[in-house]
Amino acid sequence: MSNELLRVSGVTHVFGRGDTAVRAVDDVTFSVPAGQLLLIMGPSGSGKTTLLTIIGGLLRPTSGSVTVDGVEITGLSDSKLVPVRRKSVGFVFQSFNLWESLTARENVELPLNMAGVGGRAARERATHLLEERGLGHRLGFRSRDLSGGEKQRVSIARALANEPRLLLADEPTANLDSEHGREIMGLLREIARSGGPSEAAGADRAVVVVSHDQRIREVADRVLWLEDGRIRDIGHMVRDPVCGMGVEVDRAVAVVHDGRTLHFCSPGCSREFAASPQRFLAGAGEGRV
Amino acid sequence: MVPVARRNLFAEKGRFAISVAGVAFAVLLILTVLALYRGWSRTGQIFQQLPGQLWVVQQGTSDPFHSVSLVERTDLERVASVPGVQTVVPVLSRQMNFGPAGSEESVRLMALDASAGLPVTPEVRERFLPEAGTISIESILSRQSGLDEGDRAEFGNLSLTVADVRPAGSEVLSQFAFVSFADAKRIFGVAGIVTYGMVVVDEDAGVPAVAAAIADQNPRLKVYTDEEFATSIRKEIDESFIPVIAILVAIGFVVGAAVVGLTIYTATIERTREFGVMKAVGGSAGFLYRIVLSQSAMLTAVGFLAGYLGSLAVADLAARAVPEFATDFQVRDIAAVGAAALLMAVIASLVPARRVNSIDPAIVFRA
Repeated sequence: MSNELLRVSGVTHVFGRGDTAVRAVDDVTFSVPAGQLLLIMGPSGSGKTTLLTIIGGLLRPTSGSVTVDGVEITGLSDSKLVPVRRKSVGFVFQSFNLWESLTARENVELPLNMAGVGGRAARERATHLLEERGLGHRLGFRSRDLSGGEKQRVSIARALANEPRLLLADEPTANLDSEHGREIMGLLREIARSGGPSEAAGADRAVVVVSHDQRIREVADRVLWLEDGRIRDIGHMVRDPVCGMGVEVDRAVAVVHDGRTLHFCSPGCSREFAASPQRFLAGAGEGRV
Repeated sequence: MVPVARRNLFAEKGRFAISVAGVAFAVLLILTVLALYRGWSRTGQIFQQLPGQLWVVQQGTSDPFHSVSLVERTDLERVASVPGVQTVVPVLSRQMNFGPAGSEESVRLMALDASAGLPVTPEVRERFLPEAGTISIESILSRQSGLDEGDRAEFGNLSLTVADVRPAGSEVLSQFAFVSFADAKRIFGVAGIVTYGMVVVDEDAGVPAVAAAIADQNPRLKVYTDEEFATSIRKEIDESFIPVIAILVAIGFVVGAAVVGLTIYTATIERTREFGVMKAVGGSAGFLYRIVLSQSAMLTAVGFLAGYLGSLAVADLAARAVPEFATDFQVRDIAAVGAAALLMAVIASLVPARRVNSIDPAIVFRA
């Protein structure tokens, strides 16, 4: 399996024509390797969601190319895009977009049905995915009867149903309170690092999140700033060796240890490190992205 | 597989019930009208139930109801000599008014001259050959006239006792009642002349050949097979009833298709976003079409069942209120209406399917 799960090359998208033309996305280029959680931030109308829509194969860019898990999708016909969306990409939405008349389990089962998995196999996989996300007691609940946090966990389970390697999340914490938002951020980080809580294998997935939520910076490996359709600034993130959180180099607590500069999310973590450096040094510095 | 179509339909139970009622109404309309037509199409069947295979009438007679046939008995006696003829039974028949005191009903009175050598089985005797002084009627006439077994029916100066009230038959244009031949002669006041000759053909003789031989023998006579005689009565029904039925069936079909179509279309519009999500997460066009078609088919199937049961109930209630409401639900008609309902479901799902096809999956990212 390739390490680079997503490559966006010179993608531009223009809405409208002539005088009314708007460049929603303007010559954007970046790539995302396996194991990375990429956060795309920017003001409203900056083109974040348009970019995510293009990456997900739901909108064709005016120019440029998008490669998902080794497949260049911008040249594919509509019918060939369908299996790519089904197998290679998972979607998590701001407003959950669950199927209201279905139960939590059926919401996860349906994408499996679309992929040709039916009957007991689909039911068991859906049950497993939901139980792993603490929803074993909500399997038969209609999605409309679930709380916001539960809905988003169902949405994540649904996105993972067909084991895609790339997860795209649009404002996943926007409709959640801080507790549930943190919970979802933790889940997304887990997915990026280990391919989801259910996978024993190493990191083989990547997560791209579009959000206004500053809290997501804490779990992101990398941040892109999009403004007027262009990438203005890239916030370099490194891993806090104590808590494992991604921290922005410019804003982190920096400590020099044995000639190496380490970055921490807070003074508390830096103190904890100072008390027992050997305990945390094994992985320090490997988190730079 | 997740029953998406069923879940979608039952998510809105009120609308589902109304839609089922709409389809059921269309099916009820179609089935009831067809059953009524089938029931009325049995008119004239009595001529096929009588033991003769050929009916000899006066030349120029078009059918038993609209023209009077007068045949001399001597002509019938000559018919008996035609090879292949086993027996010729003189028959008297005429539309007559009769009544219990104070009321008047119309009936098609018939009498067979059994003395002419008619092979009489117990069934024939019981149904068509009542004793002198008695009359055998059917239940529809019984309900119309109020006459029951033991009551007396007055034909001019002759008073007959109702000996038997038979279950409702197939005649809707006019009810048939049977009396003895002697009583019929007194009621009609004729001698030497009868209405028809009912010919019983030898088992080994060909009916068409015998009919041709009779017609050749006497140009004053015309010969009908029992089926032709019955059909001559039905012709009136077919010519007047079929066009009406065709229009009613078409209306029912259009109403049903419109109800199913509008319901599925509305359900699709309401769930545009959900269908968009399905497209976004990899639902193929075929997968989505199947959901729409399944919704449509389920709605139609439930509506068809409700309509079928409803039509049975309506036919029963209508027959109690109007004795002539003779219906006959035939399996082929029910199957045909079922197939039409299926077609209705397919047609009704075409527009919503187009709508689903046009949904932009990028809608999922819009707030």
